[in-house]
Amino acid sequence: MLGRILVLCGIFAILPTLLKGHAANMDITLGPGDNRTGYDSTDFESRSISLLQRTGEAADLLSVLKSPPLGLPAIPVPPDNPVTAEKVQLGRKLFFDRRLSLNETMSCGMCHIPEQGFTNNELATAVGIEGRTVRRNAPTIYNVAYFSNIFHDGRDTRLEYQIWQPMLATNEMANPSIGYVIEKIRRQPDYTGLFEDAFGGRGPGIETIGMAIAAYERTLVSGNSPFDRWYFGKDEAALDDAAKQGFRLFIGKAGCSGCHTIQKKFALFTDDAFHNTGLGWQASVGGDSSEVQVQLAPGIKVSVPRNVINSVGEPPLSDLGRYEVTQVPADRWRYKTPILRNIALTAPYMHNGSFGTLKEVVEFYNRGGVPNPLLDPLIRPLELTDSEIRHIVAFLESLTGDNVKTLVRDAFAAPIGDRR
Amino acid sequence: MGASRNTIYEIAIVSMVTIFSLVSLSAWANETGLPHDMVKITGQEDFVYVWTLGVEGIGDEQDKLVTVGVNPDSSQYGKVVHSVSVGGRNEAHHMGFTFDRRYLWCATLDTSKIFVFDIHSDPARPKLVETISDFVAQSGGVVGPHTIMPMKDRMLITGLSNNRDHGGRSALVEYTADGKYVATYWMPTDDNLQGAAKTGKYADGYSYDIRAMPRMDVMFTSSFTGWSNYMMDFGKMLKDEQAMKRFGNTFVVWSLSERMPRKIFDMPGAPLEIRCAINPAHDYAFTITALTSKIWLVYRDQQGEWQAKDVADIGDPAKVPLPPAFTISSDDRLLWATTFLEGKVRAFDISDPFHPSQVYVKQIGSQVNMVSSSWDSKRLYFTSSILSKWDKKGSDNEQFIKSFEWDGKALKERFVIDFTREKLGRPHEMKFGAYALYKP
Repeated sequence: MLGRILVLCGIFAILPTLLKGHAANMDITLGPGDNRTGYDSTDFESRSISLLQRTGEAADLLSVLKSPPLGLPAIPVPPDNPVTAEKVQLGRKLFFDRRLSLNETMSCGMCHIPEQGFTNNELATAVGIEGRTVRRNAPTIYNVAYFSNIFHDGRDTRLEYQIWQPMLATNEMANPSIGYVIEKIRRQPDYTGLFEDAFGGRGPGIETIGMAIAAYERTLVSGNSPFDRWYFGKDEAALDDAAKQGFRLFIGKAGCSGCHTIQKKFALFTDDAFHNTGLGWQASVGGDSSEVQVQLAPGIKVSVPRNVINSVGEPPLSDLGRYEVTQVPADRWRYKTPILRNIALTAPYMHNGSFGTLKEVVEFYNRGGVPNPLLDPLIRPLELTDSEIRHIVAFLESLTGDNVKTLVRDAFAAPIGDRR
Repeated sequence: MGASRNTIYEIAIVSMVTIFSLVSLSAWANETGLPHDMVKITGQEDFVYVWTLGVEGIGDEQDKLVTVGVNPDSSQYGKVVHSVSVGGRNEAHHMGFTFDRRYLWCATLDTSKIFVFDIHSDPARPKLVETISDFVAQSGGVVGPHTIMPMKDRMLITGLSNNRDHGGRSALVEYTADGKYVATYWMPTDDNLQGAAKTGKYADGYSYDIRAMPRMDVMFTSSFTGWSNYMMDFGKMLKDEQAMKRFGNTFVVWSLSERMPRKIFDMPGAPLEIRCAINPAHDYAFTITALTSKIWLVYRDQQGEWQAKDVADIGDPAKVPLPPAFTISSDDRLLWATTFLEGKVRAFDISDPFHPSQVYVKQIGSQVNMVSSSWDSKRLYFTSSILSKWDKKGSDNEQFIKSFEWDGKALKERFVIDFTREKLGRPHEMKFGAYALYKP
């Protein structure tokens, strides 16, 4: 009997190690857990994954700060908010805490879903608290550390400040005030001491909450993609010919790098500036088709009259892009150039999620965007062949960093905050 | 749940047998969709409890349980007799009695709270006695409790979503009748069929309704969509190509006693409500796909194997009439199905379950969702709201409960209560109450 007990004790003693090893070795499937690729066809077969498989293991997120991945510059860290392990761990906990919304249903992580490219692959534009409409596609958090223009219209300047926008927006997390959030966190037993440990004795506050979440977001850096290993690492075998041809088109005939810029020693694939592609103009003043194609089931689509759609839909919210920040008429319908790293993971694309695939995006630019009086002069018909479009897509697909599964697995290890 | 609450429940459960002996039972007649072995109101119902969604700008803006008087002999006939606000807009949706029918659990799809009402102490004035607010944490991340099916001293609850991605993968959650969490049973997925046979191409892991046929130790679940879609503006969703891919296409047959999935059928287009045939010789159930507008029959073949077959269209599926709810009559002869976008109800003769035929149609309003039938099939009640963000906009956003009498040929309207004018909100599911259930 004693022997059995000892054996059992031994098993329980090593169980955490076994489980930890299991989590570390378990492959992570990227993308929605119920992959719907091919849903347009009657041949569609589901590939749903059990949510019980969604387990992870915390990673050393600070390592990227010491040594940024190939293809990326040093991570800018503001002197007033150095990144520490305690802040990152606290920030991650806050990021996935659904209690940080008025009715405790929305966290940052409900729109920035780790396995879905830290965005939401299942929605064109986000849905906020009580189902309220958000006008724009949830942008990815990957590599957000590098930017001072935050949001599609660049209305904020630092990650530390940015988090208060969704926290307080009535159509996102809808907290009634900053003080409400601070007091709510202060009351949660599972936060006892965490802020104090991370911030030298300072408790939850308007600054420390932002600093903690910013510290976590700043570590979500992802590079060393096949492209990086080829272009910056000079490894010819890292990239296939189609992607190499796509790159040449990207910087040449297609002119993509005019906005999605590449520097000598690194590439962020964005000029961090704002451009009018015509998509915003089209939504605001371009007019609608009389019917909408609606997918009802795999391979089953019907044409629904616009008036039927409108009968069950609220009027579209106005969206004037960068103009809403600057009030400069020329900025109407300009949106920030997105980073292209991990672009294969962050569908649907554009500020309003109007394209489901990279091929559709390249085809859109090949048509010259949507002509309008404020169309960016860099956007013009490209006269790319189908083969060239495929090559550009192959290049874009080569921009996935080598650590995304580590970051996703780390996020899976974070507790999801729910009311207890 | 506090100790005093447990005591109340214990008394309730112990007295269940007594209640059975006091209320006359019709062997297989039932009110809409209740478990076959549950106590029924066989005479005139006195009340309809309406689980009502709060609306910004209307009244106190909160979800509430509204009691409507429906006994023609009462001075309160056709009137709102009571209302209990619960705090917040939680996306009130469906309800379920405890097996003894003394308590009513009212579930919500957004905040995932379950509000428990005492309906036996004063059936006219339900009293909120408990709120289960940790459903998501207790269940391991299930969001959106939907159907609440009583099982003697247990409650089986379907979830619609989850706290990881707000998508459609979800689970069944089991509670005791006194509100203690027991277990979570995740829906079978392609990578984890849990021993179930995948008969077609899908094992999406989605969930919606649940019904059981205890005599065959079987239960069924259907599949809808996740939080992101059911909470989203309907017009916005219809235009969102990604969102429209996120609907359930499966129907699962389970072992009731083992809580294990046995067979997964493909049912493209979101099979929603499930209703089991009532006659014990009828080994079949129906469901209706909301998006593809088809009636499906789930039946046992000659070898005793469960099979599924689409047996009829509702309206013109190409026009997406959107049938969200239905009920079948206690003699298994009529199936009443509403179509939300059309605002109609259709009656199908289902005497031959393999060949339903439409025999009647009536316009109920500009929109209509739930339909509930009295046990004798003479009275039908309709409510208007499907989901807070899916209801029609503008003047077509009628919000009502309407009572009709069915004389075997036509529906005749008896009363209407305008829930907007009454400053109540959006009426959703209905359950019946009666003094006779609790008289000594």
